[in-house]
Amino acid sequence: MNRVPKHIIWKISLLVVLLILAALASLNFGIISISPGEVLRTFLGNGTPKQKLVLFDLRMPTVILAVLVGAFMAVSGTILQGITRNELADPGILGINSGAGLAVVLYITFFKTSTGSLSIAHTFILPLCAFLGALLTAGLIVAIAWKGGFQSIRLVLVGVGINAGLSAILVALQLRLDPLDFTKAMVWLSGDLWANQWTYVYALLPWFLILIPYALYKAHTLNVLNLGTQVANGLGIRTNRERLYLLILAVALAGLGVSAGGGIAFLGLIAPHIARRLTGPKHLTLIPAAVLIGAVILLIAETVGRNVLAPVEIPAGIVVSIISTPYFIYLLLKTK
Amino acid sequence: MTNLFAEELTIAYDNEVIVDRLNLKFSPGEITAIIGPNGCGKSTILKTMARLQPSHSGAVYLDGKLIHKTSSKEIAKKMAILPQSPDAPEGLSIYELISYGRTPYQSGFSRLTTHDCEMIEWALNVTGLSSIQHQPVDTLSGGQRQRAWIAMAIAQETNLLMLDEPTTYLDPAHQLEVLKLLEKLNEEEGRTIVMVIHDLNHAARFADHLVALKQGKVIKEGTAEQVMNADVLKQVFNIDTEIITDPRTGKPAMISYDLIK
Repeated sequence: MNRVPKHIIWKISLLVVLLILAALASLNFGIISISPGEVLRTFLGNGTPKQKLVLFDLRMPTVILAVLVGAFMAVSGTILQGITRNELADPGILGINSGAGLAVVLYITFFKTSTGSLSIAHTFILPLCAFLGALLTAGLIVAIAWKGGFQSIRLVLVGVGINAGLSAILVALQLRLDPLDFTKAMVWLSGDLWANQWTYVYALLPWFLILIPYALYKAHTLNVLNLGTQVANGLGIRTNRERLYLLILAVALAGLGVSAGGGIAFLGLIAPHIARRLTGPKHLTLIPAAVLIGAVILLIAETVGRNVLAPVEIPAGIVVSIISTPYFIYLLLKTK
Repeated sequence: MTNLFAEELTIAYDNEVIVDRLNLKFSPGEITAIIGPNGCGKSTILKTMARLQPSHSGAVYLDGKLIHKTSSKEIAKKMAILPQSPDAPEGLSIYELISYGRTPYQSGFSRLTTHDCEMIEWALNVTGLSSIQHQPVDTLSGGQRQRAWIAMAIAQETNLLMLDEPTTYLDPAHQLEVLKLLEKLNEEEGRTIVMVIHDLNHAARFADHLVALKQGKVIKEGTAEQVMNADVLKQVFNIDTEIITDPRTGKPAMISYDLIK
């Protein structure tokens, strides 16, 4: 049974088609609508300068970023749910969102960036701040939760505690911001794909090409870890060491995700869930499915958020939450 | 034949000594049953000797090599351990579960070799699960589920098989089914089997060698006749027993017992 069952190949192909459709829709819709035919013509080099500008400089990087960020969050969640054997685990328990959020708000507080337009330096420093904030917080949570070895319940509890503390500091700081900065911080915290520029695409793409294949390489280890610590140890897997590696991988993925996407909370929770329903518990198919689902959801959320109340844009993270909340409740009701 | 023994093994949780300088050897090619009251350290000893938990001091040797200096993967090629009531993720099929038994022989992207597939087929056949191999483990009955886990452990292709209470939560027929499967593996394949078990009559019936433990110490070990008698059981479990020879099996069997006040 080395071969992947047909129905799974079929479902994954369907997700690829869905992703392409979602990408096309995202390129089409907007204040300036560009029809699929015009998109094609522009790609072939025959578009008007305005169409070129909108497609290449605004929408293309957004679409690619949505795909990358969606994939990062989804795979991070898949790994976390795998190593904790807890289907309600998501990158949020590692303090990714609150840590990144705090770093960004601290930065804004100290440097008062947003009173004018963001300078070039700031556009680069903010994602870096978010990434470092996420990494530091996750590192702190893992360090406190690690007691001679990995215990998923400790990780979850420490995560909840640190998150609560950081959120409190976050609110305290936010209340002292001036209204314009406050709004900016709020938008960021809700998960706006703010970094929609080619620079960020180039910064994130190599990580996608390294980390996602590495996660696939670890698929078998994740499968065996899913049988529980004792069984996995008995099968010769060094569970503590493997869990630590995988935890670092999940943190890196989520850190990269928030640095460009902001606090997109639910994605890392629901994408692995839907994927598991489609492909079953084997990670070699579960991870690709989660990548696709994460990307599709975020793309759709981004497109909807940009268009439904246009010209007002709703952050993609809020649309993701609105879409996922009913699913989340359904999940809780179904959990035995 | 795989040889496993503990020498002066001390196990402690948070400075509380559970097992103090234990010496224990499992004879190759035999079925050994470990019996003893709740909390006597049976499971702890089994898990420590299978390197699933650390020891405080002393040593465990597997084929003459110190177990904590041997790579976990090497150990997994010689010894399989099935913990008590393991749990499979939702939707995992029997075949997939058994295929994980081949983990010690795989690396990286881990495609199954022809030999891996042969071992999986064999484990399916011997446990009588071939016809339902694509069913998810979480939908099986208790007896089938336990057989699926045993199939995973034997697909690991080890001479030594350790099981922690393999018959817990099973009805009498399924308990016997599991034990007869282990007996068959021992007789036909010459596998060494060590199990922790609560049912004394089953221990006496199926084991070549019994180890009776109390408070982390071996009170008595030997054949069923040597261990299953009123004196030993009184000392180990603090019960007053009626032992007869089972007309079916010729082994000692406890027909009645009472607490000693």
